Amino acid sequence: MRLRAEYSVGPDLKFLANLDMMHLMERTLRRAGIPYLLSEGFNPHIKMSMGTILPVGVWGQKEYFDLELNHMPMVDFMTAMNKALPPGMHIRHCCEIPLLAPSLMKVINAADYIFMMQPTGLDLENIAAQILGQEKVMVQSKGKNKLKQKDLRPGLYDIKVESQDEMEIIMVRVSVNEPLNVRFDEILDVFVQVGIDKKYMLDFWRRGNYIKKGEKYYSPLEKV
Amino acid sequence: MKDRLFKDILPRVSKPARYAGGELNMIKKDWEQSQMKMVFAFPDVYEIGMSHLGGKILYGVVNEKSEHLMERAFAPWPDMEELMREEGIPLYSLESFTPLNRFDVIGFSMQYELSISNVLNMLDLGGIPLWSEERQESDPIVIAGGPVVFNPEPFAGFFDAFLVGEGEELILEFLDCLEQNQGLDRKTRLLKVAAIEGVYVPALYLVEYKADGTIQAMRPQYPGVPDRVRKRLVQDFDAAYFPDAPIVPYMEIVHDRAVLEVMRGCQRACRFCHAGTVYRPVREKSVETLKRQAQSQLQNTGYDEISLASLSTLDYSGVNRLVKDLVKTYGDQGIGVALPSLRVDAFSIDLANEVQKVRKTTLTLAPEAGTQRLRDVINKNVSEDDLYRAVEAAFGSGWNSVKLYFMLGLPTEEEADLDGILDLLAKVKSIGNRLSRRSVELRASMACFVPKAHTPFQWKAQNSIVELEEKRRYLQGRKIRNVKLSFHDSQTSMLEGVMARGDRRLAQVIHKAWERGCKFDGWSEYFKFEQWMEAFADCHIEPEFYTVRERPYNEIFPWDFIDTGVSKAYLYKENEMASIAMSTPDCRQVGCLECGICPDFGVYLDQKEEA
Repeated sequence: MRLRAEYSVGPDLKFLANLDMMHLMERTLRRAGIPYLLSEGFNPHIKMSMGTILPVGVWGQKEYFDLELNHMPMVDFMTAMNKALPPGMHIRHCCEIPLLAPSLMKVINAADYIFMMQPTGLDLENIAAQILGQEKVMVQSKGKNKLKQKDLRPGLYDIKVESQDEMEIIMVRVSVNEPLNVRFDEILDVFVQVGIDKKYMLDFWRRGNYIKKGEKYYSPLEKV
Repeated sequence: MKDRLFKDILPRVSKPARYAGGELNMIKKDWEQSQMKMVFAFPDVYEIGMSHLGGKILYGVVNEKSEHLMERAFAPWPDMEELMREEGIPLYSLESFTPLNRFDVIGFSMQYELSISNVLNMLDLGGIPLWSEERQESDPIVIAGGPVVFNPEPFAGFFDAFLVGEGEELILEFLDCLEQNQGLDRKTRLLKVAAIEGVYVPALYLVEYKADGTIQAMRPQYPGVPDRVRKRLVQDFDAAYFPDAPIVPYMEIVHDRAVLEVMRGCQRACRFCHAGTVYRPVREKSVETLKRQAQSQLQNTGYDEISLASLSTLDYSGVNRLVKDLVKTYGDQGIGVALPSLRVDAFSIDLANEVQKVRKTTLTLAPEAGTQRLRDVINKNVSEDDLYRAVEAAFGSGWNSVKLYFMLGLPTEEEADLDGILDLLAKVKSIGNRLSRRSVELRASMACFVPKAHTPFQWKAQNSIVELEEKRRYLQGRKIRNVKLSFHDSQTSMLEGVMARGDRRLAQVIHKAWERGCKFDGWSEYFKFEQWMEAFADCHIEPEFYTVRERPYNEIFPWDFIDTGVSKAYLYKENEMASIAMSTPDCRQVGCLECGICPDFGVYLDQKEEA
């Protein structure tokens, strides 16, 4: 069978690189005694695949992985895994998915990032509207081709602002992979361009990964 | 502090996971409830330090078997160090983010002579006076252990005490003694610990020198302080503490796998080998104990590989049975067995084939010298035929990459021995071309021989940098196609040689070198040879005194007062045998060779299975 799990990565684990996270998950599977399946070939590995990469320095509320395993009730899987996971990590939900369902990397195409800031004194509502009102939002690409100028606008789906007593929150919803891969550090660059300095930042994290179909957003557990 | 690090500091450095702590199986004891608070300080970067088995054992012993507490600290990489100094962040422990100067004891693990500059740097970053004599009542007691402290003298000025020998046997006694004498002044407490077997408190000894710079005498200045410091050793290795649940780092480290220590010591008696003397005698664990330890290690870590560690794992009497059992038990789960070092013979290759049913990575063999004569001199009991058979077996069973280790500058080495290396490589290559379907990849690594204390070669001259560079040019000028030669840095080896057989006058040089910015000397990108040479000049000390000088038998060595259990008479005889290229067999096969360790320490050669 194949399952898809939704898990959280707490702030203490935000410095893990992608490969570290993969090793962590594989080791957890082994400690938990999960009957995972191995690939064939000279160098067998656990048939697990992770969703989109969580950037170093960012923690995540809803991340995903898929796993092929011999039959095991979902609730037993979650209990065993949550006992074996390090503090700060937790599997929240999981469900069985068809063996041939497309991979997470193929279907996840949007993500939310949350930026928590101390009061900036800036008119954030206006700044958000201003960014979204531009025809192009140019940044220096942080991806493979670092010299390239990149227009983020087609990938900026939404920017919401929420002011509370002692902090302000900006939620940014962006495109991932297709049609455009908007990187987390590129969003920070956009902020700097419009005067939101890094010094205001109290914390930031990824709230979720989504499958965008037209104007609708689904969780990878809802829409397989 | 943690908040500030996570928010402001760590996002700005490379590999922040080095400094974040919180790993799986980390033990964070209650500070107030604990007796002595000790930090295990490893003078190199996290991924090296966390790969070290001794640290895992000590961490477990102190935290699980006593009321004391042990946390960890590593040398910050220069980018982190710069930021720490800029932002006024002291070196802290990874468990509780406590600055080093708030601990009772700082224990450095000295695995490599040149990590001393990092020791100084870490003390400085931790807000602790570098010189032992400058420390006040409120400062931590700074100690060191590990193989390097079998000649502790070059570092004597910086440490309050050295723990000589196998730490798991000694550490709790040491901490208990400090705990029981809390409230007494620093000096009295050091006098108390100096009475424990295996503890060396350098400030309690006086060294006098002759006009020629060698030692006249070394003696304790206080009653109750022993003339000789005897190493500690685990008597019943099978029953010795071994961690069931070692820390699993989040980031990739050098040895990223579960480890079993199958035996301690090595009876091969290679005459250049420091570990071969100081960790005598061989003591083995039973296969049953090891299988039990494998199970708990794997269960608690989730690693996909288990490594069988020791100085010479293929000499472990139960290796065949253990490997087969482990492969049978865990192979289906995709968990592999790793053999870190192979002997140069066909049995080794057969066993390696067993564990590497799938992955044929590089095969590493260590003939050490190029001719049979020189191998007899160093007592590396490997014959040419053994080697070729091993290589034939390897290429014949699908390996196509072999790495060979040699040493340059061995005693009595001449041109024929260098030619011997080249001939040997050419022969191995032709075997490979004959037996392997793909083109073979052959690499040879040339280390520089450094004479070490407590070995039969402790009297020998080390090759100068000029000599070593000449040999390197000679070999490079006779290149064999498709054989890659690499050479250890002769300058680094020279400095290593100074420390390996140095005396306590060198502390000044070390201090000066640190002031001139030396750190991470084991890392070629940071090694600053000129600054070291300037430091020697500043102190009017000639490094050659310690390296290229052949030493007479009647010279008193700075490390003579350390009792490893191996007698000087035995070392003398071995050195004489070397001079006539006569080898000495393994004492497990031919009976006792009277090195002295077993009767002297009341231990016996502990072999678990019939060979």
